[in-house]
Amino acid sequence: MRGLSSLERVVLECIGNQNLSYEEILFQSGLQENVCFNIIQALIIRGVLKSEKGRYLINQNISPLMMEEMNGLEARKAESLELMEAVLDKDYDKIFRFQKVAMDERDTKIFKAMLSNLESFLKDAHQKAEKNIPLKNRHIVFWGMGELLPMMNQIMKGN
Amino acid sequence: MRLENKIIERYRQLYPKETLKESSARTGIQITRVYRLFLGKPMKVHELEAFEKAINEGMSSNPNHSRLTYVLEEASALLTNEELGKLADYFERRVENKKFVRSYIRPLFQETNIA
Repeated sequence: MRGLSSLERVVLECIGNQNLSYEEILFQSGLQENVCFNIIQALIIRGVLKSEKGRYLINQNISPLMMEEMNGLEARKAESLELMEAVLDKDYDKIFRFQKVAMDERDTKIFKAMLSNLESFLKDAHQKAEKNIPLKNRHIVFWGMGELLPMMNQIMKGN
Repeated sequence: MRLENKIIERYRQLYPKETLKESSARTGIQITRVYRLFLGKPMKVHELEAFEKAINEGMSSNPNHSRLTYVLEEASALLTNEELGKLADYFERRVENKKFVRSYIRPLFQETNIA
């Protein structure tokens, strides 16, 4: 399943419910000119985007099959991995910590509560600045936790 | 797509900025003939072999190519269908992203420089 690449998603997120000109998409996305052009063409060919009077908008009649292909769980997983990999590969200006942490039950609860606070903070921050900060200047933030043993089993099974 | 078109496309992906003169020198095929082949004319067997040889040479200059080929062969034998699907998805995405970045998309002659 091809899904959407993170680059294609950026173009779609820039457009959202609006209809934007090529220059506006270029500014919002921060993509190189030829890349932006190629992505727009690819999205038009796939029937996801359409152009009207020199402006681009998302096709509202996308088939459910295509929607599943673009927004299904597998597609989203692949996209998240793509961006996480890009963060890991970045040589400068990145924050990344990965640790195996021993936590008792109480501290696990505290940590989960802290994550919940973090999520609310990010939601508020996003709502506050969404209109003023173009997509290209946004930050990729990810977090998560899991127990090691089930994950090792999962790796062995290969799923 | 016909085999010869695939070969030309692959060749152009490996040597996207090559001029006709350079392609001719690399393959040993006359420049006017290379021009016609890039336009999609049918190939003779020795021309197909010349392009294939150039492609193999181009790929072998990348040391990780043979490693990847070996790993893929092993993966095909060992991994489940689902795991192979995930790998295929991963490769497909990498390739698609690379295609967006390359200004050269058309496989045939349109963007070839004549020198």
